[in-house]
Amino acid sequence: MTRRQIRGTIAIPVLGALGAFLYWGLSGLPPFGNYHGFYGHMVSILSLPQRHVTNAVTATVFDYRGFDTMGEEFILFAAVTGVVLLLRKSGEDEEGPPEDTVTSDALRLFGLLALAGGVLVGLWLAAYGLVTPGGGFQGGVAIASGFVLLYLTGSYLAFARRTSESALDPLEAVGAAGYVVVGLAALIAGLPFLANLLGPGKPGTLVSGGSLGFINWAVALEVAAANTILYKEFLEQYIVPIARGRKS
Amino acid sequence: MTWLLPLPVAIPLLAAALVAAGDHVTPRIVQNAIAVLAPAAATGFSFWIMLETQHGLLIHWYGGWHPIGNLAIGIGFVGDSLGAGMAVLSCTLVTLALVYSLTYMRESSRLFDVLMLVFCGAMAGFSLTGDLFNMFVWFELMGVAAYALAGFKVEELGPLQGAVNFAITNTAGAYLILMGIGLLYARTGALNFAQIGHFLATHPSDRLVVVAFTLVLIGFLVKAAIVPFHWWLADAHAAAPAPVCVLFSGAMVELGLFAIARIYWTVFSGGLHAHQGDVRSLLVWIGVVTALVGAVMCFLQRHLKRLLAFSTIAHSGTMLVGIGLLGAKGLAGTANLILSHGFLKAGLFLAAGIVLLRLRDIDELRLHGAGRNLRWERALWFAAAIGLIGFPYVGVFVGHSLVDEEASGQGFAWVPPLLLVAEAVSAGAILRAGARVFLGWGPKRDPLLSWEPEESPPERSASVPLLLAVTTVTVAIGLVMSVIPGLQVRIENGAERFVDRSAYAARVLHAKSTPAPPHLPFAIEVAKPESWAYGIGAAVLAFAFAAAGLWYRRLPELVLGGIVRGLGPPVRALRAAHSGIIGDYLLWLTIGATVVGGAWAFSLR
Repeated sequence: MTRRQIRGTIAIPVLGALGAFLYWGLSGLPPFGNYHGFYGHMVSILSLPQRHVTNAVTATVFDYRGFDTMGEEFILFAAVTGVVLLLRKSGEDEEGPPEDTVTSDALRLFGLLALAGGVLVGLWLAAYGLVTPGGGFQGGVAIASGFVLLYLTGSYLAFARRTSESALDPLEAVGAAGYVVVGLAALIAGLPFLANLLGPGKPGTLVSGGSLGFINWAVALEVAAANTILYKEFLEQYIVPIARGRKS
Repeated sequence: MTWLLPLPVAIPLLAAALVAAGDHVTPRIVQNAIAVLAPAAATGFSFWIMLETQHGLLIHWYGGWHPIGNLAIGIGFVGDSLGAGMAVLSCTLVTLALVYSLTYMRESSRLFDVLMLVFCGAMAGFSLTGDLFNMFVWFELMGVAAYALAGFKVEELGPLQGAVNFAITNTAGAYLILMGIGLLYARTGALNFAQIGHFLATHPSDRLVVVAFTLVLIGFLVKAAIVPFHWWLADAHAAAPAPVCVLFSGAMVELGLFAIARIYWTVFSGGLHAHQGDVRSLLVWIGVVTALVGAVMCFLQRHLKRLLAFSTIAHSGTMLVGIGLLGAKGLAGTANLILSHGFLKAGLFLAAGIVLLRLRDIDELRLHGAGRNLRWERALWFAAAIGLIGFPYVGVFVGHSLVDEEASGQGFAWVPPLLLVAEAVSAGAILRAGARVFLGWGPKRDPLLSWEPEESPPERSASVPLLLAVTTVTVAIGLVMSVIPGLQVRIENGAERFVDRSAYAARVLHAKSTPAPPHLPFAIEVAKPESWAYGIGAAVLAFAFAAAGLWYRRLPELVLGGIVRGLGPPVRALRAAHSGIIGDYLLWLTIGATVVGGAWAFSLR
């Protein structure tokens, strides 16, 4: 038997035993729909009077547990930094981006329209995050995927030119820093970190939620830029070798 | 003073974002200043928190969301002296590593500094948090930064594989933790340590809690590099640049152990009170096995950073024994051990980095005698190695003595001698490597030691005096940890409050203040005679093992043959198990989780 086969032979019974152990524990869970936690009920009752926010999820994510979200924003930030660090070029690759031509004008027109639509949807999702389902994170992902359409319907070159690293990197970092700055501003004002500094606003409008609005937009900026950088890094890994191969 | 608590997290994270934003724009000197001053400021504030928490817990509710009734609706940081001490250690090591990197990693990208700063903020948050999910967030953030830093030399095959092994095993551990958190939340509806602990203490314990405890424990044991979850550690250390190893060995592994102590005492100690004995024997057992396995593997290495990494595993086992004895004295011992070992091991990795820089290699045998002219490096190496032995009043001495006292007091009298042997073997290996490299002692060949691929050295332009200065400071701090007046009594007092679940819960959930601790003197505690005996015994044994490692082939044929026949097969099997293959590692993880879970399914219900 090869090492792999031995491993497989041992793994199957062991995994079975572990599965049995987990099942034994999980079957002790409360039955479906039998929710024990007061927390969810409490937040959905409190978020409107306390925070003037109609979307209780956003109130939880950016306020009651906003400090978790700050850490999670930095997980994305660190992950993107790590990807850029690990995929860095080793110096010999200085030929510039490859040429790839667009063949269909109709497709390109569609792509431009869809880009505008995508970015608009993203901005809308982010802007109304305190009112309806959505928020900075979701909006940021939608904005970034709008830019991917530039590559899908246009060319790699068009995508690469419009997503310059010297603009994206600072934008991403500013978004990440923004969250911390909102938190520190409250601390400097003598309040707890991330406490609301502004008037809570009128529920159901775009200016509800006070400081939450700033956090929401900082996250939108960070997520949009971070995702665009990720797409760019991965496309570069994938497309540049293919295009080079075709040319030579 | 509660405003202090967010700062050790916020300052490094803000600095990371600023350094990233200013890449290519801000002058290099400004970037360097931010990268060094931010962790230094975090160190200062952590130290301040540590001083404040001597009088009681310091609590900061983020967003101002104080608990209602006994329900925590927001996230709280709960600073206590041991947690704040972990933050001090982590931030200090990041500061030292970044000063070292100013010249050691000069040609590298700014992204290195960014990730180190993120790492710093994550470790501080992990040390100070009072919330289970928040702890997981910092755990993940720490991991993401660490994986990328481990793979820093991505153009070489070894580092890439080391980083991949590290990332996959630790992510598997993280899944277990997250699943455990989910189960606890489903049972208790809470994420705050004090609140979950209160619920579990006042409700009958059931199988869901047993499974959740197992999952959370295993996840953090992976991070703490405890056998049989330790495999990733040596691979990651061999791959990572020296300043990154400093954080891995000096703080990250220990934070895994800290999490086990924190979660056990605040969350599970009430609910599992009746089964304390079962928990204790399992943790002590795996701790002792880890110490011995780490020590033996350490002795078989010739790659200096791998050797140091296995020594970390040996010490991690001892630290787990201190925690697993479930007593305040043992916990205090581990806390002291974490401080002294953290700095001494950091110093050794920094010294190994200088060896790689100046001698262009990191292999003990190839470097035979090559370091004869590196007098200062030699002094640092041996000083740090002796600090790790536990000679009376030097380095790890107090930590070891406290763990030994607790073990003997709890009826585990067989544990201290085994820990003594583990310590002596691993310290002996470090002494042996030093003697071979810096003194040219012993033969140039040794079939006992495993071959490892070469590692590309850093730029020659690095400023050696600066590197030596940083290393000297680091080693010196580690050496004096047993003779800082008042430190021992403060750590013991902090540990006693650490294990008091109900006082913690009353303070966190009901803001009930606890009585001020007694006046703590600034004195050096007098060591007991048995501690002296252990310290001197460890030193004698360590030097004997070092000599044996160098000249074992001069032993009479009869003796040598006996040793080979007796120890050969188990040692070969142990070495073969450290295969570097990720599938094997995951299989071990699964087996370990199944065995622990199976044992507790019968004993803890």
